[in-house]
Amino acid sequence: MDFEMERFISALIDRSPPHALVHLQLVLIPVIVAFLIAFPVAVLLTRRRFMRYTDRVMTFFNMGQTIPPLAIIAVFFPFLGLGMEPALFALTIYALLPIARNTLAGLKGVPQEVKEAARGIGMSEWEMLMRVEIPLSMPVVMAGIKISVVLTSGTAALGALVGAGGMGAVIFAGIDFFRAELIIAGTLVIGAIAIVLDRILSVIDNKLTPPHMKM
Amino acid sequence: MIVLDKVDKVFPGSNIPAVKQVSFQVDEGNICVFVGPSGCGKTTILRMINRLIEPTSGDIYIKGKKVSDKGLNPDHLRREIGYVIQQIGLLPHRTVEQNVALVPYLLKWPEENIKPRVRELLDMVGLDPDEVAQKYPFQLSGGMMQRVGVARALAADPPIMLMDEPFGAVDPIVRGRLQDEFLRLQKEMKKTICFVTHDINEAIKMGDHIVIMNKGELVQHGTPMEILSEPANSFVKDLIGTEREIKLLELTKSGEIVNKKAEIPETVRQKDCFISVIDPVQRALETMMKKDSDLVGVRDKDQEIGTISWNDIKKLINKLSGDA
Ligand SMILES: Nc1ncnc2c1ncn2[C@@H]1O[C@H](COP(=O)(O)OP(=O)(O)OP(=O)(O)O)[C@@H](O)[C@H]1O
Ligand SMILES: [Mg+2]
Repeated sequence: MDFEMERFISALIDRSPPHALVHLQLVLIPVIVAFLIAFPVAVLLTRRRFMRYTDRVMTFFNMGQTIPPLAIIAVFFPFLGLGMEPALFALTIYALLPIARNTLAGLKGVPQEVKEAARGIGMSEWEMLMRVEIPLSMPVVMAGIKISVVLTSGTAALGALVGAGGMGAVIFAGIDFFRAELIIAGTLVIGAIAIVLDRILSVIDNKLTPPHMKM
Repeated sequence: MIVLDKVDKVFPGSNIPAVKQVSFQVDEGNICVFVGPSGCGKTTILRMINRLIEPTSGDIYIKGKKVSDKGLNPDHLRREIGYVIQQIGLLPHRTVEQNVALVPYLLKWPEENIKPRVRELLDMVGLDPDEVAQKYPFQLSGGMMQRVGVARALAADPPIMLMDEPFGAVDPIVRGRLQDEFLRLQKEMKKTICFVTHDINEAIKMGDHIVIMNKGELVQHGTPMEILSEPANSFVKDLIGTEREIKLLELTKSGEIVNKKAEIPETVRQKDCFISVIDPVQRALETMMKKDSDLVGVRDKDQEIGTISWNDIKKLINKLSGDA
């Protein structure tokens, strides 16, 4: 395969942008939906009433990440067919685990004596969750979201294989037509998406991190 | 005010009870000090009083009401009881001001009342509000954190306070000062206080009433004077340690043994060898040694009311230690 600068720049500037937008959707929608599912579930799993389900639920989230997204799409093909929906569905399942795992770890990491004192001065369970446990576990939760974003950014390239589009379309076109320019351009854009999203999350993270946890 | 009736606590997964058949009563306005070695169940008792944990059997009453009463919301109960936990437990992500304001906030005090109250409290526990209010706990020393913990517990002016080694994290000098400050505050506050320590000297100094615990059992309870003059067994004797007589002298006011008829000799005046009626007898002894005299004059405010002699002190020691 040879490499032509002109083709490469055209791949980046002309060909990539529409695919990049789709790719962004393939990352953001699954991560947001995964957060909306995994975060409350993990919070519930740290409550005394639901603690005993922790292992079972986490096994499910674990499976979500070990089964390849393409296999999930294949299994759900009769219901969801091909295209955007099955891709979003599979990627969502894939994004659950890091968020759930980190939320659990973050909540469990809240110092026992802080919880004891908060309860001892009369905070209800809800007040303690909202004012003590969640704020103090935010840095770990955010780290989980970042991991999900980076993982999903890469995995979303497979969306092109089931007709969902995204930067995968550029890369697979490059593979089909032996065009290194396309493969490299597609990979670079995916990397850029992951980095930009990670930076944005870092800014939010920095706002949410309590002062005593900052370096 | 606070009554425990045959309270047992066995933690799940353990077969030895952490607290065994403990009964006692804390009267309104009193400081009751729990003292005993590590692991004897002091913290467990406090946590049962504010229902952080439930007794395995037995009953606990506050102002005649069972705390386990179904109609009593434990969160509301705890807002009426100031709690200073052993590990301090300030919220690390909140400023000193926000930490102290927690209970008033939970009780939904109007915003404009909270800020001045926080300043008042910080002042009360000897912290400069301008300096510390906006700091975070990690920016404070251990002793400052403990003061903030005490201020937080006092914030909503609860009639009852549970204090678990509130002055544990400071050196003996600062501790002495905190104890003095707290006793001074208590004179005005008149709160009913359960105070935990494993330092018998602190117990004697702070307590109107002392409860001595060992291995989950109540070994002896009574006033500091009763405990010192009639230790129930060798465990209590060992706990009191070697300086029992001196501790007794610290507890007795000079006024109790002053010889009111005696003339005050000229030598005492020349050496300025005087103490006050409210000083402990211990002070009389110290003054005698410092001024090299076997007699001290006693004053009530500015009035000279009598003397205490070396012999008076010896008689007192003999009487208190019961081998006269
Ligand atoms: N949550 C718990 N679960 C199981 N056992 C406990 C629990 N809390 C306390 N214990 C046990 O109960 C006993 C009494 O503990 P407690 O904390 O009341 O002691 P303490 O008198 O406060 O000691 P210290 O002076 O060290 O604070 C100890 O043997 C301890 O191991
Ligand atoms: Mg303790």
